Amino acid sequence: MIALIVRRLVQLPLIVGVIYTLTLVLAWAVPGNPLENPEGRRPPESVMAAMKAQYNLDSFPKFYFSYLDNASGFRWVRDTVSGRAAEQAAAAREAGLAPRPRPIFDLGPSLKHRDERVVGILASALPVSVALGILSILIAVTVGVTAGVVGAVRPNSFADLATLVVALIGISLPSFVIGTLFVLIFGVWLAVLPVGGWGTPQHMILPAITLSLPFAAYIARLTRMGMIDTLGSDFVRTARAKGVAEQQILLRHALKNAFLPILSYLGPATALAMTGSFVVERVFNVPGLGQHFVAAVQNKDLFLIIGVVLVFSTMLVLLNLAVDVLYRWVDPRIG
Amino acid sequence: MPCTPHWAPAQWHPTTPAPPGSGTVPIMFRLALPFAMLLAILLGVLLSDRPLPRADLTFSNGTDITTLDLQRMSWMQDLRLARIVFEGLVANDVFDPGYAIIPAVAERWKISDDGREYRFFLRDDAKWSNGAPVVAGDFLYAWRRAILPDTAADYYAFFEYIEGVSEFFEWRNTALAGFAEDTAALNPSQRADRARALWAETEQRFTDSVGVEVVSDHELVIRLIRPIPFFLDLCAFPTFYPVYPPLVKQYDRLDTQTGRIIAEGGWTKPPQLVCNGPYEISIWRFKRDMRLEINPHYWNRDTLNIRSIGIPSIADPSAQVLAYQTGAVDYVASVSAPFRREMVAQKNAYYREHAAELERLRALGLDPFEIDRRLPQDPRQNVHVTPAFGTYFWNFNCMERLPDGRPNPLADPRVRRALAMMIDKRVIAEDVRGLGEPIARTLIPPGSVGGYTSPEGLPCLSDCDTPEAREALIERSRALLAEAGYPDPAAMPTIELEFNKDAGHDLVAQSIAKNWQETLGLPVRLAQKELSVFRDDLKKHNFMTARAGWYGDYPDPLTFLEINRTGDGNNDRAFSNAEYDALLDRAYDETDTATRADLLTRAERILVEEQVPLVPIFHYCEVRMFDAHTLSGPNPHPRATENVFLFDILGDGLGTDRVRAMPPDPGGSK
Repeated sequence: MIALIVRRLVQLPLIVGVIYTLTLVLAWAVPGNPLENPEGRRPPESVMAAMKAQYNLDSFPKFYFSYLDNASGFRWVRDTVSGRAAEQAAAAREAGLAPRPRPIFDLGPSLKHRDERVVGILASALPVSVALGILSILIAVTVGVTAGVVGAVRPNSFADLATLVVALIGISLPSFVIGTLFVLIFGVWLAVLPVGGWGTPQHMILPAITLSLPFAAYIARLTRMGMIDTLGSDFVRTARAKGVAEQQILLRHALKNAFLPILSYLGPATALAMTGSFVVERVFNVPGLGQHFVAAVQNKDLFLIIGVVLVFSTMLVLLNLAVDVLYRWVDPRIG
Repeated sequence: MPCTPHWAPAQWHPTTPAPPGSGTVPIMFRLALPFAMLLAILLGVLLSDRPLPRADLTFSNGTDITTLDLQRMSWMQDLRLARIVFEGLVANDVFDPGYAIIPAVAERWKISDDGREYRFFLRDDAKWSNGAPVVAGDFLYAWRRAILPDTAADYYAFFEYIEGVSEFFEWRNTALAGFAEDTAALNPSQRADRARALWAETEQRFTDSVGVEVVSDHELVIRLIRPIPFFLDLCAFPTFYPVYPPLVKQYDRLDTQTGRIIAEGGWTKPPQLVCNGPYEISIWRFKRDMRLEINPHYWNRDTLNIRSIGIPSIADPSAQVLAYQTGAVDYVASVSAPFRREMVAQKNAYYREHAAELERLRALGLDPFEIDRRLPQDPRQNVHVTPAFGTYFWNFNCMERLPDGRPNPLADPRVRRALAMMIDKRVIAEDVRGLGEPIARTLIPPGSVGGYTSPEGLPCLSDCDTPEAREALIERSRALLAEAGYPDPAAMPTIELEFNKDAGHDLVAQSIAKNWQETLGLPVRLAQKELSVFRDDLKKHNFMTARAGWYGDYPDPLTFLEINRTGDGNNDRAFSNAEYDALLDRAYDETDTATRADLLTRAERILVEEQVPLVPIFHYCEVRMFDAHTLSGPNPHPRATENVFLFDILGDGLGTDRVRAMPPDPGGSK
């Protein structure tokens, strides 16, 4: 297991490096000038050239290597070792000012939001996406497993059919439809929950439920199939023959076995829930990471595009690793 | 062969012997652990991210801030925030019909008789938010930032009115270009020495040659290249506000390898930010919210009516309106929701219900917000449409040939005039936009600049009341085309209408294309582009006709006319007319106000009646949302400078709770 972890962690920088190169090549090819304002007020040509030079946008190799230098932390190490960083911080304090923040992995400035560093944007948006993603996965598991068990206990009953229909709706209805409906019903008509925004637990409820629906539907079907499978197997029949209580059979024997495929699904699902919530974020005005994916590309905000992609790919690699480790730990027969 | 229980093949069961190394952790616990971990992370995030109490005033600032770097900003929402957080030498009195200049950091000023020298005297009690005094050198530092080509200030052009600025800008640009060549063979440390030497020379040259002089900490002298009647208005504009040099110097770093000053962002955010305006920023969470509190060192803090301002970030235009309707915000600075025309229609229905009272209040010459305040309270009332200092128009490419080599029929002003007349502007303003925006015959909104008389402008289809008049106008247009060598308009090269797909420009384009097809039988083609591509096309003059718009920045016709000067950075039309350029030049040198206004009217006449590089379609309106009964502070002036620090929630017991409004103007047309 240790070997697995070490191997994956060694692979991580290589994977991220390849993704960085591919992303930069593609993003570089996007037409348009990221430094220009959309509506009028264009600076003279020479000024524009100077601006491009400032961000190394005038040369692909220059940009490629200077970005690597900052983002990989080499720059931070150099500044720390040479004592330049400590000098600057002392100078700032002397002038009665707050010293500048100095991230280890400096992902550069945002070209569109000129006051922001990409690291700052990610730091403010990532917790939101993580919280929303986790909550929706927890809801999805609770709802999905319950529905799946109900369906498995009495297959083809009314309850089973009802959960199937709901699951089908959950999978096939896009979240902008469901989300908008929720806003209308709970936010405007009943006015019991805020229509959007972020900050209090109430703000999380509607977006988390909307985001959880497709996952819940999928989990419900996984659970139902696994349970029906297990309940029909020999050891369950034996347990019944021995007079084990039905409740115990369901929870301790059948559910446990049915749960393994769900666990392996949870890895990518959690990653997806944390990162793929763009539509839900938009509908509920949630300040998470997903919005930056689209907005950064639209604005050709190179630094932000690369920063978001790098964080997502790192998260995906780490989450997959976590699932693999957990899986081996929960079910030692694997690996 | 060892015997395994037949009932446990692949499945897992309590009697399966635990594999080595798994310890005695029960399996249910193992299954629960991942969820416990997720729950722990969730709780951690929630606890570290507590909600704030509601601010005294909350408002939606349109879209998010692009930058609070004063010298680099140009967006409305950025300017609006800058006016709350910083303060310039002077300010506009936004409740004066002429937007009169009033003292701010400068308590008084003297203008020389020739109108070229401005001497500002700074007040003693103007302070930065860290308690340091605001001194003349802070302005010099800020203005030098804006002037340096290194900064790439959007509004650099405003500083060219100051003596020596254009020459300094050119010199610095040449020096930077030369630096790269001269130092190519040097090693990095030699190059760094050269960069520092160049910067020292730059600072010296700025002091010696540019007409900004710090006489003492409290006296600043500006010399202009010519008298600029609107120079004080420029000084009231955020690009001319000061920055705190000890702070910003840390971020304006000299790049020793290129010799440039690199203006890094980040000093504008708390806790780094040091500002000199009525409010300071206590919290700024990107794309989430912003919290402003009274700057305890602000010299005029006793006049402030609210203790804290909250600016939640709401990107979706419909969500902004929803936030207002559910009480989450008190004011929406710019309403762009797709259903806003329905809201405007509702308001007009409300006005019709109270027509008699409305007429009586209008006759008193009250401003529109004050009228709403005196009419009965109603949710339909809360959307407010007021004229803006901007015009929506359609560009004609004036180049002889298009970039792909095709001859351009629009290079002939007669063709441009003919097409300009064949547009039904009323259909666009009323049916497509539906906000009650007035149709436009001129580029400069009539009546928006005091002392200026707009030219007549060309007639268009919507001016024709009878079918006969319409036929006559079409005949006139056909005659112009025939004169230009196109007796049969149907045989003309296809005219392309280019636009970006957002904000209903497609509907405007369709409407215009239909007009041209139906009246002249012109072959037309609609070309919808992605915004960035559209922008690129405009810049490279790679279009035939294209949608456009412009907002004025200062109270002078030149703010609209300059964009049509030969070679101007915003002259997308590639329009070049020697007489026009000469008229603008003469207007700069003319000291007599009436003669100057005549010259400018003549220039605009060339634009909208003779050469027609663009067709004005309608003049923009501002759409805002607030309840005039409970909020005072917004002003209906077309220049739409919003000083949010003057806002007051009426009846909250804080501040004066007195209404601020424009003085009644019984003779006024509105």
